[in-house]
Amino acid sequence: MSLLEIIDLHKKFGNLHVLKGINMEVDRGEVVVIIGPSGSGKSTLLRCINRLEEPTKGKVILDGVEITDPKVDINKIRQRIGIVFQQFNLFSHLTALENITLPLRVVKKIPKEEAERIAMRFLKKVGLEDKASHYPHQLSGGQQQRVAIARALAMNPEVMLFDEVTSALDPELVKEVLDVMRQLARDGMTMIVVTHEMGFAREVGDRVIFMDKGKIVEEGTPEEIFTNPKHERTRKFLSMIL
Amino acid sequence: MAIGQFDPHLFLKILPDLAYGALVTLKFSILSTLFGLVIGTVFGIFRIVKNPVLNAISMAYVEVIRGTPLLVQIMIVYYGLPQAGITLPPDISGVLALSINSGAYIAEIIRAGIQSVPKGQMEAARSLGMTYVQAMRYVVLPQAFRNILPALGNEFIALIKDSSLLSVIAIAELTRVGMQIYAVTFNAWTPLLGVALFYLMMTLPLSRLVDYAQRRIGGHESA
Repeated sequence: MSLLEIIDLHKKFGNLHVLKGINMEVDRGEVVVIIGPSGSGKSTLLRCINRLEEPTKGKVILDGVEITDPKVDINKIRQRIGIVFQQFNLFSHLTALENITLPLRVVKKIPKEEAERIAMRFLKKVGLEDKASHYPHQLSGGQQQRVAIARALAMNPEVMLFDEVTSALDPELVKEVLDVMRQLARDGMTMIVVTHEMGFAREVGDRVIFMDKGKIVEEGTPEEIFTNPKHERTRKFLSMIL
Repeated sequence: MAIGQFDPHLFLKILPDLAYGALVTLKFSILSTLFGLVIGTVFGIFRIVKNPVLNAISMAYVEVIRGTPLLVQIMIVYYGLPQAGITLPPDISGVLALSINSGAYIAEIIRAGIQSVPKGQMEAARSLGMTYVQAMRYVVLPQAFRNILPALGNEFIALIKDSSLLSVIAIAELTRVGMQIYAVTFNAWTPLLGVALFYLMMTLPLSRLVDYAQRRIGGHESA
């Protein structure tokens, strides 16, 4: 059974039909990369998976539990789904360390000292243990994004969502973030990555999904999508960005 | 003693009384700002939650209080409530009226403060499994309060000055003390200049502090 299953997912913002029936499955340990033009609904899809946006229709099932069920405790579910945003969204009044310990303490009720131990472990994992006491505004964009990844990882999620996490970064800072994600994929983390970094998609993705106008146009291995796309729209999109 | 002009001897003599009045003023201003902060936080949050009833209640409160004179509000609490069967000592009436008044202004400050925190902060907190209340308490409000500290300071300064209106309900704050001295000595300049001086001694350092806080926050804001 797949870890994550999305069934006929729709999202409307007023008259705007952003997602028009998305079906997909993600296996444990799989890295799925979603590409497509802006406005195709990639980010909305990601945000529907942990219900930061409420789907208009359809189901999201995580490990057998339908999380789109209104009766489900979404705060419990969100602990199992990490998300990293384009704009980092580090808590600006807290240090890097406190950014990670706050949710551990408040949500998971972990005592301060143990939370700090966990936080240091994950800061180390993203190579920032020496920045623990720095505030977000004292860190570069790349460093902030790595702290954001560490913060999400520290909650010990089963799946990680990445929403264009390198789009707001200066070009020279992109690599350090992608390196962390590459390592994460190697460690066997289940990941859904929305990105414009085609090199990364090709190298790290187990599967690539091309979305356009709220629908999945085609999906396949990176090899299939990048060297031999079946659909005209996929070909057009790739020819414009590669 | 010359009537109608500033009298240094009288001035020295009334200094302790004025200082005492200033302390009373400070006490009322601090208490009312604290209660106003509680009221303002509640109504400020009422204003932004997705609940039309709470939105309307908050809006009505703010509009009514900001649209009517504080003097009238004080008199309604002091003279009106007893006729509705609620008799409060003057001190309590004074704090109540000032708190309700400053609460309305602070509610607007809090609302603006919460809205000054980028939406991504709430989103990130919720995405980590925090409830709305936890996200507000640990992520949004601390940043909102940091941003509005100067505005709150200005509100406190305004309250120090506005609390002079409590003199009409016989509370022995700074202005009332000055008027009482005038009533006894028939010298207006000496006590009233003294009163003004004491107000300045309270408000000037505070406004310097507000300026300092504003500069610090201004240089801090980036993330």
